[in-house]
Amino acid sequence: MSNRHTPPPSPADRALPRWVEWIVSMGVPAGARRNGILGDLHEEWVDRLDAEGALRARIALLREAVSVSTRMGFARLTDSGFRHANRAVDARLDGAGSTVSLHFARSGSMLMDTLITNIRYALRRMMRSPFFTLTAIVSLGLGIGANTAIFSMVNAVYFQDRGFTEPEQLVDVYTSSPDFTYGSFSYPDWEDMEAGTTDVFQSAATMRLAFVQIENDDGGIEMLFGEAVSGRWFETLGLRMALGRPLDMSDHVSPGAHPVAVLSYGTWQNRFGADPNVLGQTIRLGGQLYEIVGVTDDSYSGALNGLTPAVILPILQFDELTGLAGGTFDSRGNQSQFVKARLRPGVTMAQAEGALRQVVAANQETYPDDWTVDDSMIAVRTSDVVLHPMVDRYLNQATSVLTLVVAMVLLIACANLASFLLARASDRRKEIAVRLAMGAKRRTLIGQLLTETLILALLGGGLGMLLATGALNFLQTADLPLPIPITYDVSPDRTVLFFSLGVSVLAGMLFGLAPALQATNPAVAPTLRDESAGGGRAKGAALRNVLVAGQVTVSVILLVSAGLFLRSFSAMQRIDLGFDDSDAALVQLVAPATRYDEQQRDQYFADLVTRVEALPNVTSASMISNMPLDQMNTTYAGVEVPGVVPENGLDYHLVDIARVTPGWVETMGHRLASGRGFDDGDVEESQPVAIVNEAFAEFFYGTTDAVGRSFTQNDEEVVVVGVIGNSKVRSMGEADRRWFLRPAAQQGSGIMWLLARGSGDAEALTRDVVRTAQSIDREIMIITAKTMDRHLGAIRLGRVMGAQVIGAFAILALLLASIGLYGVVSYAVSKRAREVGIRMSLGAEPAQVVRMLTGSGLKLVAIGTVIGLGLSALLSQGMSRLLYGVPAMDAITFAAVAVLIGGVSFLASWIPARRATRVSPVTALRAD
Amino acid sequence: MGRGDGIDFPGELEQMLMLAALRLGEDAYGAAMSEHLEDRVGRRVSRGSVYVTLDRMEAKGWIRSRMSEPRAERGGRPRRLIEVTPEGVALLRRSREALESLWRGVEPLAP
Repeated sequence: MSNRHTPPPSPADRALPRWVEWIVSMGVPAGARRNGILGDLHEEWVDRLDAEGALRARIALLREAVSVSTRMGFARLTDSGFRHANRAVDARLDGAGSTVSLHFARSGSMLMDTLITNIRYALRRMMRSPFFTLTAIVSLGLGIGANTAIFSMVNAVYFQDRGFTEPEQLVDVYTSSPDFTYGSFSYPDWEDMEAGTTDVFQSAATMRLAFVQIENDDGGIEMLFGEAVSGRWFETLGLRMALGRPLDMSDHVSPGAHPVAVLSYGTWQNRFGADPNVLGQTIRLGGQLYEIVGVTDDSYSGALNGLTPAVILPILQFDELTGLAGGTFDSRGNQSQFVKARLRPGVTMAQAEGALRQVVAANQETYPDDWTVDDSMIAVRTSDVVLHPMVDRYLNQATSVLTLVVAMVLLIACANLASFLLARASDRRKEIAVRLAMGAKRRTLIGQLLTETLILALLGGGLGMLLATGALNFLQTADLPLPIPITYDVSPDRTVLFFSLGVSVLAGMLFGLAPALQATNPAVAPTLRDESAGGGRAKGAALRNVLVAGQVTVSVILLVSAGLFLRSFSAMQRIDLGFDDSDAALVQLVAPATRYDEQQRDQYFADLVTRVEALPNVTSASMISNMPLDQMNTTYAGVEVPGVVPENGLDYHLVDIARVTPGWVETMGHRLASGRGFDDGDVEESQPVAIVNEAFAEFFYGTTDAVGRSFTQNDEEVVVVGVIGNSKVRSMGEADRRWFLRPAAQQGSGIMWLLARGSGDAEALTRDVVRTAQSIDREIMIITAKTMDRHLGAIRLGRVMGAQVIGAFAILALLLASIGLYGVVSYAVSKRAREVGIRMSLGAEPAQVVRMLTGSGLKLVAIGTVIGLGLSALLSQGMSRLLYGVPAMDAITFAAVAVLIGGVSFLASWIPARRATRVSPVTALRAD
Repeated sequence: MGRGDGIDFPGELEQMLMLAALRLGEDAYGAAMSEHLEDRVGRRVSRGSVYVTLDRMEAKGWIRSRMSEPRAERGGRPRRLIEVTPEGVALLRRSREALESLWRGVEPLAP
């Protein structure tokens, strides 16, 4: 033995790298044998470290580890006798026994034998061209992964069991007016509806979302998302309980008298550690103790799909829970309730709608102020609603776009697979022709070829599952700036697994069958005569050309979509919001009406602003009742101006309004066009005043010079003291919207946002604001605390995600298509090696030959690009709703995509062509 | 698995590995054997092939292996020591005789 094996000192850094163990463990089962191999690799590693340095040693080690893992792994996979024998050896080496008989298993039917033979044959062939195998698996893996990820989401949103019993009998009921087709109910309207529909509905119930403050045992305070429900909620939906009792009519007697709570399954698991004795315990919500009476089944994910409540509470406790004062149960203007009802057996939707019409007619009679002739109630089957009828339109469009996109990615991946298989098939025509001539059954050969593609597809599918799970995990843990806690269980379930498996098998069959049929075409003689020497083109070439052109087409479509989203996103970033969008602290809080009267509340808010402004890093602070661009809330008020006639037969104009404290205009960074902002002189006793925006001024007064003009709100004459520039109120994409501000001192609000600007980190500033608010009142309800960036991020999220997701898929598609193109050109080049050799030896310039070889590939690209651009022009019209600030036929996007695809395609075909001219003519001529 | 019906002959790599094991004696284990092949014959064999071949030969009963004591220079791992069985030795002898008998008569080609 050479003395290179004498043990060198082995300090810790010479330990075998962990990844080596990892790689080897994939091919070799744990045990003495693996230990021995790892020991060998360790010795070699130490030797090489000394002799060659770390980098070379690493490379050598990687090569060896992979060789061990793949060779041993495949030997085990493909050779069951070998596997059995080795198991016996393992047992002996591990000391499990000294005599173990070697048993060569040979069992199963003929069919099984054929299958096993086919699989072995396929695996051996796959191992023989690892580059092809890897490319095919990775291509398919990416394609199937993309589809699995999107399908997991679709599955979670559209198909998951939501815990309702007999959901086909359930209907959603909405109030409807010309400007809001699917509106919510006020409590009195809901009571009227319930009372008037007992003939058609077996039961009906209502729910209102509530952010509830919970105080933990350690004194910490958190906001929980809850559902406040009426007495028949559980009965109507048919919800199942994991523990205890549901809420029922005994919890629906009089406001404030029912301090009981039902926990969601998740809350019970996470917050109470699934304590079986949780019933009867109390939790402190909104400063009051609530007794836990039940826990829902884990299938219940909330009445609004994806909004799983942490806790379900009686709606009659709403005021106590949220700290909001009054109007909850008697104001018809307070429309925040969702209604669900269960049809009586045999009752049709038409009959239900008839009953609703009668309720509406009665209300129009009795409450003409609240129920105009245009108002109505409509019923929609719950099973037809995904999230909410108003959102579903966008959701469905986004879902179809995404589904289409990933389907196209998969299509490209499959085209790659088919294209490679066709190339290989034509390479093997001779072999196959010989086997056919010698009597092999065509069926057998097709079986073998299909087995190969199926294995490829299944491996690709496996990789795809892994990729999808990884991507979804990332998405779930990503801290998205969602305005509400949306939770979906997107972890791949059985449906998803079947989907991926189905897609894989389908892809394998569909795209393996054509090459298999072609390769085994019984027109044997011409193949045996060998046409590859001359110019005869294999029939497979035509099909491959179509595939390449098709791939380019699909890539172009995807790139155009991605481009449109990117441009839409950047247009959105450039939008002038009309206020200072630099980062700042935003905290939304409630001074609970249970503990604060109006005066105390206003005092609290005033104190808070003063204290926040006194913080060292803060330059200014101010408060507003409705933060602009808050997707959870829009508030409008009735405005009358003599001579300006309202639409829809109303007596007043509905205009968006917000109440603010002094200094708002400056803190928010609105442009003050004329007049002044509010100051400490604008109090309850003084003249009612307002600041209006230019859109408001122009609409009502025909001029932006509106200071001194007036309007009527709540029968009060309000004087305009300032005009500000237009700014975005509800959404980024909106046209200039009429908006006005009133002083909070004249028209208070129990719920306010505090905006604080200053130097330094906005996150830290936000925390400081929260601490300051709690230092005045430890139990003040903090609804949200976030930065301005996050606030704006929420509204940009859809388009950011759209641009990123579709962009990623488009790049993926481009990559796959390039691989395909590269493959086609390399293959064509290799088939023409002899021709190239002849031309080169006859003195052709390399550049000429390169042109000749790339020419045919680029012609395919040109065709594909033109078709792709044409189809994009058609398809992009369908995405118009999802775009902003960019026309569906955006010339820049279309041109850029054409240039990009041209460039990438040129490279993909130039590289193999160029390589062909580098080969010496002698070698090329010798090529078969 | 056998390579055909009738008498089994060891393949080339199998012969080389068995010979290397005989030459190395007590020190015959994977790493040393591949190194020996590389040094003596100038043949580089991938680790994967070496182990698969060893396993196959052990399954066929041509060699036997046992684990040594754990060793510090191997990160505390043992060596899998290889020993050619009498059956393996007989096969080596047989294939040598077979080759020699085939060589006879083509002596002019020999160097």
